[in-house]
Amino acid sequence: MWALRGLRNGVVTTRWPSRPDEYAAATRGPAAIRAGRAGAAAAVDAAGLCPTGAISVTGQGGLRVDQGRCILCGRCVTGRPDVFAWSEGPGTAAVTRAGLIMPSEETPEALAEVMTGLRQRTRALRRSVHLRHVDAGSDGSEEWEILALLNPVYDIHRLGMFFTASPRHADILLVTGAGSRGMTGPLRTTYEAMPHPKVVMAVGTDAVSGGIVSPSYATTGGIGGTVPVDVWLPGSPPSPFAIMAGLLLALDRLASGGDHQ
Amino acid sequence: MTTSTDHELAPSALALRDVVARQVAGGRRLADLFGTARGGDLLLTAQVAGPGAMTTLEAVLSAGEASYPAFTPLVSAAFWYERELHDLFGVVPAGHPRLEPLVLPADPRVLPRHAVGPGLFTIPHGPVRSGVMESIEYLVETPGEDIPHLNLRLFYKHRGIEKRLEGVAPADGVLLAERAEGVASVAHAIAYCQALETISGTQVPWRAALVRTLHAELERLACHLDVIVRLADGAGLAVATARFGWHKERVLRLTDQLSGSRFGRGVTVPGGVSAAPRMAPADILAAVGELDRQLSGDIRLLLGTASFLDRLRRTGPLPPARASAHGALGPIGRASGCVEDLRQSRPYAAYGSLGMTVSSRADGDALARLEVRADEVTAAFHLIRQAADELAEASTGSLRADCEPLTGRAPGWAEAPQGELLYDVRVEHGRISRCRIRPASFHNLVLMHEVFAGDILTDFPFIEASFGVSVAGAAR
Amino acid sequence: MTGYGAVLAAGLLLLAAAAAADLVAGPRRPAWRRAPYFAGAAGSACLTVAGAAAAVGQHVTLRTSGLLGVVAAGARTLFTQIPGLAADRLSGLFLLIAFAAATPISLAFASWAAGPDGPDRRGLGTGYALALGSVAVVLTAQDVFTFLFGWESLTLAFWMLAGFRRREPGNQASALVTLAFGRVSGAFLLTGLLLLVTRSGSLTLAGLASLPAGPARSTAIVLLLAGFAVKVGLVPSQVWLPRGYAAAPGPARAIMAGVAVNVGFYGMWRTLALLGPPPAAVIDILLLLASATAVLGIAHAAVQGSLQRVIAYSSVENTGLILAGFGVALVGAANGSRALIAAGLVAATLQVIAHTAAKSLLFVSSAGLQAGDQTDDLDCLQGSARAAPWSSTGLAVGSLTLAGLPPTAGFVSEWFLLEALMQQFRVPGLADRLVLAVTGAAIALTAGFAGVTFVRLVGLVVLGQPARDRGPGRDPGVAGRVGIVLLAGSCLALAAVAPLEIRLIADGLSPVVPASAVLAALKSPWILQPVFAGFSILSPSWLWLVMPALFALVAAFAWLASGRRLLRVRRVPPWRSATAGVSGRDSYTAFGFANPTRRVLAAVLHTRAEVTRMDARPEADEQEQLAHVEYSSDVIEVTEQYLYRPLRRPFALLVQQAQRLQSGRLDAYLAYMLIALIAGLALVTGMH
Repeated sequence: MWALRGLRNGVVTTRWPSRPDEYAAATRGPAAIRAGRAGAAAAVDAAGLCPTGAISVTGQGGLRVDQGRCILCGRCVTGRPDVFAWSEGPGTAAVTRAGLIMPSEETPEALAEVMTGLRQRTRALRRSVHLRHVDAGSDGSEEWEILALLNPVYDIHRLGMFFTASPRHADILLVTGAGSRGMTGPLRTTYEAMPHPKVVMAVGTDAVSGGIVSPSYATTGGIGGTVPVDVWLPGSPPSPFAIMAGLLLALDRLASGGDHQ
Repeated sequence: MTTSTDHELAPSALALRDVVARQVAGGRRLADLFGTARGGDLLLTAQVAGPGAMTTLEAVLSAGEASYPAFTPLVSAAFWYERELHDLFGVVPAGHPRLEPLVLPADPRVLPRHAVGPGLFTIPHGPVRSGVMESIEYLVETPGEDIPHLNLRLFYKHRGIEKRLEGVAPADGVLLAERAEGVASVAHAIAYCQALETISGTQVPWRAALVRTLHAELERLACHLDVIVRLADGAGLAVATARFGWHKERVLRLTDQLSGSRFGRGVTVPGGVSAAPRMAPADILAAVGELDRQLSGDIRLLLGTASFLDRLRRTGPLPPARASAHGALGPIGRASGCVEDLRQSRPYAAYGSLGMTVSSRADGDALARLEVRADEVTAAFHLIRQAADELAEASTGSLRADCEPLTGRAPGWAEAPQGELLYDVRVEHGRISRCRIRPASFHNLVLMHEVFAGDILTDFPFIEASFGVSVAGAAR
Repeated sequence: MTGYGAVLAAGLLLLAAAAAADLVAGPRRPAWRRAPYFAGAAGSACLTVAGAAAAVGQHVTLRTSGLLGVVAAGARTLFTQIPGLAADRLSGLFLLIAFAAATPISLAFASWAAGPDGPDRRGLGTGYALALGSVAVVLTAQDVFTFLFGWESLTLAFWMLAGFRRREPGNQASALVTLAFGRVSGAFLLTGLLLLVTRSGSLTLAGLASLPAGPARSTAIVLLLAGFAVKVGLVPSQVWLPRGYAAAPGPARAIMAGVAVNVGFYGMWRTLALLGPPPAAVIDILLLLASATAVLGIAHAAVQGSLQRVIAYSSVENTGLILAGFGVALVGAANGSRALIAAGLVAATLQVIAHTAAKSLLFVSSAGLQAGDQTDDLDCLQGSARAAPWSSTGLAVGSLTLAGLPPTAGFVSEWFLLEALMQQFRVPGLADRLVLAVTGAAIALTAGFAGVTFVRLVGLVVLGQPARDRGPGRDPGVAGRVGIVLLAGSCLALAAVAPLEIRLIADGLSPVVPASAVLAALKSPWILQPVFAGFSILSPSWLWLVMPALFALVAAFAWLASGRRLLRVRRVPPWRSATAGVSGRDSYTAFGFANPTRRVLAAVLHTRAEVTRMDARPEADEQEQLAHVEYSSDVIEVTEQYLYRPLRRPFALLVQQAQRLQSGRLDAYLAYMLIALIAGLALVTGMH
């Protein structure tokens, strides 16, 4: 009965990344400065616009957006649509924390060095990767988006990635949540329980920087202080396409750098 | 929108306890019990709910009083509330049967065993669970297959949201409220904004109320589909898991198309909604109709799969007497005979004007909870269709009224997919001074201790999935 | 008296010397503590040699003269030859099996007796020597009187061994139960043999075979089989095994369960050889009882909390297995199929050998494990590998053998047994076929649960995490270690040389079935088949070469694939889902491991589990002060509950009536004796 039912609606799986997907292309990413508007610092009330402090003014008076702090509330985009816009597409992840800041504050040499190190670790993992997820104080929505990777629309198994229950079998550690104090120890234990080589991905703005729930007596401002993070993925929560793009970035199966500029 | 609340101030904590106990014994239920720091004093607030009305009862613990007579021996539903009070405010409820830390980390050596017998040992299940799940620890005291007793450790996900809300501008508070329980963002936003609108005396425009209702029902669909996916996954029905996962993805994408966020965040703002839905009502009706047809067929087939029903029948039963004594909320309560739904008893948003029926069962097992959720899915589609029709008629009209709360205090509520959600917001000088969030997950999760009657370890995932509790909401 | 007869005599004399040494010197003198057992070991070695010689066809006889000869000469009209002891091939085979195990057991016994847990008074050595001597006499008896004499002394020896630690709670009752069932088996044997003697007119065992077929012969066969079945513990008489074995001290259990139980099997084999099969209905009943025994035995073994009881119930299970093989042989005998007799007997004899080696090893090892704490609760004995490595290794090897894992001897014997049962399609009668099929299913079920049972022993007792309050175990001294090594080695080596074993069995079984039929089990010098060609083959010898080779191959591959860094590891705590820790036990207890078995086999075990609310107990220790839920679980022994318990009342009434005879008056007793004598004479003359 169920077998026949399963054949009714044909194939609903996306072909991304080998073929373009229009929902993927329309994925809303963190707020970004429109091209050429980075110098309009004087006309912007930076502190008032952003509730998490992602928008700030640099020393030279230019505008600076830390996408790792963006919770996609949209105040900047609706308040100043001439300066700010949503970044589109799933390629919002970066391999360094500095890579999430626009305008870019890292040099191509530093980026290349980090990518080389990452590539060395994931060289052997290309087509068979095991993921382990740890919830370090999330709000529950990031888990839904990670679980969505297993539904027939995204079907992460076709990319050779599988979820595993034991960290002993895991290659990539996905961490969500703002780093609640209760989970600091367990997160560290899980990280230690994974064999080398391993890659850690901070999924969601809460994990990258603490989001809006930090600073608080019970959180640690993201997980960067507890485990060494290799891939930073902003979003509140990041969509499944963005998570897939982040994983492919970690495995160097996608062009690195994304479209940040 | 009626604000049917009474407000009473008792002379002492003991008097407060007696009033609450009397009301609960008389058939009402304890809905919330929390504290507010006022200078050095502590203001104890108890919310007691009856059909269609809620009473707020308060008492002040002065600075010198470090303890007060515990409510739990007389009102069993206060069990976790008093532990939370003890953790966050340091007061000791004298006479509390098991005063162990709940939301703050605890030394495992001070958490003793609760079951005795031959060969008993404790299986610690969590906090890092086998699968993509939220962090919570279950201490299963078992002699090998049976589960005579179960303990919970909740402190792993405590984020201190209520404290974070203090001193925040009301407009920013919506962002925090949405992230208190991320899978019920719309319900939290509605309850929070309702409290602010009551303080500032704002009347939400009709169109805004309809949009809020639309998103709340879409969120309910997504949450119930998540529960069904977990149950089918636990039973190993691969095709059912895949199909329901596909339906849930369609619901999230529909929400994304309407509002720009897959979880409906940023839609509800104090005073109304931020923007109109980005799809015409006719398109909404078409998309929802297609989804309804396929989803109803799949649910009908699922509720006819004998091997699946076998796993759920008589699994994790919550006796109706216990459910009503505790005041179980949401689908858990409605499956055990506690027939109350805030959308009907204390209507908010557009529910007062739209037609709906409340479904309930009396068995209280996992199958009854699934059936209640299936009925709510059908009711949700009906409500979405009504809301879309009304939106098509009320095509002009404002979406947002002014809402600038300066000083005041008001409750807010909503029927989240998990059950009754209560907010109590206090604003001073245009900033939030105390925001109490009581999600249904917190009230219901403690019932996990009581539902393992003769079940074995393999029934555990079904019981947990059928509860459908959000740990992020429970731990806040 | 031939050359090997002298060896036989030497063995018996050494056993007598052992008994004497214990009686005279006793354990009070430390130098003499080991003496009885070393003497017993030497005696057992002699008897082993005699048995081996007899099995391959040498002449082994021992004629008695002296008192017995005078009595015999005086009754020459009744006797056709002077009684004595002699070992033919079948006796030789069983002598070899029993005493090849008794030698290492005696060594271990010597080690144990010298240790601090050894006996503190006389009697144990005597009982031990008496048991071994009785076994030798029963196995080599040539006439009815000697046979029964040996049997009754064995019962007495069992009572002495089981009742040695009478002071401990429960042991007094266990010893009495052992004695009672021993007497019951003796009574059955006496009745059957008397019937045969009166009908056939001969007092020698060989002469009993001359009785023509008929109701008398069938009744006698049934009585004899019943007597032997009570001795080995077939349902419903299996209730004395756990009690008796658990009550005996130290390695005495190995003597009882590993060596002495073989007399029962010998008796059954001899009955088949002399008198043929019983009626067809009885064969079917025997098969069904054997399967019930196997299932009941393993069900209880899987859920016991005490190490000795687990091993004792495993003896019950093995009885079921052996008798299932014997049942196949009986079916073959009833249908005149030599190949089937051979298949059944080879399977049963292989299982006897494997069981003897493994059970002796298990009881000897458990004596070493229990030594420290005097407790044999499985939870307290957890993680013994560090405390007592030799005993733990012995326990592990014995467990693997009885679980039937390759490449041990138990694997070969269970394979043979299942293959023999699978030949049921060759049997003409439908009833026989059905019964064989049911038995086959039950044996397969048993083999599965045997795995679960012994995994619990190996995984928790040997390899588990030691409990915090575990006392140090006491590994045996040099002699004991030699014993354990010999027994463990035989468990493993017997599989590798299985074809040689089968040749020996072929020689040994020739009184029952021609050796050529048994040798058909050897398809080629190193490959075995279940006697019938073209059905199935197994080569345990090749397994012994291939399995280690595969292991070495995989290890080499892993070493290469890891870049030659296989042993460079980073140690982290075991993964327990990153929990903060719990108070009390957080890993599986022995009780908990058996709990799924308790639930699955609830029909056989009549499991009852209950959860009750209780009030808080402030007087309990810190761990349990806030406890408010009580869990309890119970299993019931079905034969005891539904067969023996209801019989208690009528039996008590009967005993009360019989007590009236015990008036205490001498003249009444003399009158009873006169009446009994007159009745006996009348009966005997009437029967002629």
